[in-house]
Amino acid sequence: MARNVLPGFRLGLGYTLLYLSLIVLLPLAALVFKSAELSAAQFWDIATGERALASLRVTFGSALIAALINAAFGLLTAWVLVRYTFPGKRFVDALVDLPFALPTAVAGITLATLYAGNGWIGRHLEPLGFKVAFTPVGIVVALTFISLPFVVRTLQPVIEDIEPEIEEAAAVLGASRWQTFRLVLLPAILPALITGFTLAFSRAIGEYGSVIFIAGNMPFISEITPLLIVAKLEQYDIVGATALAVVMLVISFALLLAVNALQWRMANRHSAAGARR
Amino acid sequence: MSIEIRGIGKRFGNFVALDNIDLDIPSGELVALLGPSGCGKTTLLRIIAGMESPDHGQVLFEGEEATHLHVRERKVGFVFQHYALFRHMTVFENVAFGLRVKPRHERPSEAEIRRRVTDLLKLVQLDWLAERYPSQLSGGQRQRIALARALAVEPKVLLLDEPFGALDTRVRKELRRWLRRLHDEVHISSVFVTHDQEEALEVADRVVVMNQGRIEQIGTPDEVYSRPASPFVYRFLGDVNVFHSRLHGAWAEINRLPEGAHAGEALAFIRPHDIDIERFEQAGSLAARVQEVHAIGPSVRVELAHGSELIEVELTRERANALGLSRGDQVWLRPRQVRVFAAEPAGEEFGSGI
Repeated sequence: MARNVLPGFRLGLGYTLLYLSLIVLLPLAALVFKSAELSAAQFWDIATGERALASLRVTFGSALIAALINAAFGLLTAWVLVRYTFPGKRFVDALVDLPFALPTAVAGITLATLYAGNGWIGRHLEPLGFKVAFTPVGIVVALTFISLPFVVRTLQPVIEDIEPEIEEAAAVLGASRWQTFRLVLLPAILPALITGFTLAFSRAIGEYGSVIFIAGNMPFISEITPLLIVAKLEQYDIVGATALAVVMLVISFALLLAVNALQWRMANRHSAAGARR
Repeated sequence: MSIEIRGIGKRFGNFVALDNIDLDIPSGELVALLGPSGCGKTTLLRIIAGMESPDHGQVLFEGEEATHLHVRERKVGFVFQHYALFRHMTVFENVAFGLRVKPRHERPSEAEIRRRVTDLLKLVQLDWLAERYPSQLSGGQRQRIALARALAVEPKVLLLDEPFGALDTRVRKELRRWLRRLHDEVHISSVFVTHDQEEALEVADRVVVMNQGRIEQIGTPDEVYSRPASPFVYRFLGDVNVFHSRLHGAWAEINRLPEGAHAGEALAFIRPHDIDIERFEQAGSLAARVQEVHAIGPSVRVELAHGSELIEVELTRERANALGLSRGDQVWLRPRQVRVFAAEPAGEEFGSGI
């Protein structure tokens, strides 16, 4: 076997584990320890309190919707940016990263101003019966905004990798556009699409800054769990805050694990090839 | 199925890719489109396939208008230079693809699909690879799978775009013989694009030599090689020495220039293996000095200088041994076969050699 460029397996793995422990595992462990000051019954009470449950529903529900929206439109954006040339393409390409760079509070304030009853967009939506700002819809708008780059940036290199010849090959063989997309293109980009979706979803779950400005933060309706945690912290209920945080952590971790498992299964099916090459 | 191409033209911006092409491809023939890169051969192939639409002109399949038929409806098989196999499908599924996407009422049953795909994989001698993925195959195997996939929909025409271009020399030679045999077996009208003259001459029934969007010559491999219609064809098909009659007055006489053509206006084309090297001067021979002697496989390549000009001569090993040439020797050259074209305007033929 050829010698690796990077330092050997043992050193590499050791560093990786140490690094992950310091950066990720340690703070999370501290969180869990802190919440362990509560008895099981107290923990259960906080975790299943009506307001907490409602906030979890809002948080995970709107994050899911936002990630789904971005999966669809992010795919379209990535496709257009890779496959077509048009004036201002570089500018549009740069635009995609903007939600990364903008402080989320700025995004929240901007969106709230736009969608408020007297804002540029809200003014036209309100008479039609759509209220966006200060409702759960507003949360979805904010989360869609901040998680857009994840899907686009994950898909772009994968789409670049698909030669246009592949589509031509499918067409010559008699496949319709829809068949080409469903049978040839989608399977090729699905793993990346799921990765992008997962990243967008996790980012949206953790979002705080932009949401609090546009959500209205009404308990049971448009209050997200991160806000509830901050509220508890402000009342010096640190243990209560950590309990909620642990609940979020467990749910997020379970979801990510499930998505990853799905992806492993797909990768194994499609390129049993790669492994045996 | 026969293909007729009538007055096809295509431009990309200011670049003329195809300039009024007329071409007939009789049913069942294997035709090579041969030319340097940028000569329009691939564009022509893609227009026949319907992947590109011509600016003007017509494509007829079996006498029927097909110019505006969609790729899907042309019933052609297309083989790409870089295979274009579907990476996430097994070899079997790749070949079955064309059958599976047929509308429900035309689609064969699962058993029928299985039978046909297996037959095709046997035809390309790769049935043992059915469950593999494309990334597990060698280049030559991938191209054979691509061919099987193209044949699965029972196309009336098979189009191949530089099918062996991405393969190494040995595999390439093997595959082109194999393609020839396959064509003799299946007997489907086929057009393949190549820039490799050896490939075209070996495989095709007829060769279409193209240059700068035009057809230079159409003929059997033997015709285009031994009777090139233009200086371009001469240069493109194999090595050639070009003699300017102005500089090589002695030779211009043997060439028997036609009436009205002044020496100095003509170019004489002589292939390296059509020149004899002699130790002694004879009437009409050209003095030269040996510069290099390379033994390449079965033949010996001699580079000679006549004044400031370089002449290449190819000898058999026996002849070279008999002559015993070495660098600096003074020798005389005699042409066996010469073809003369007017120097300007290019392409006009004045007469042919001895």
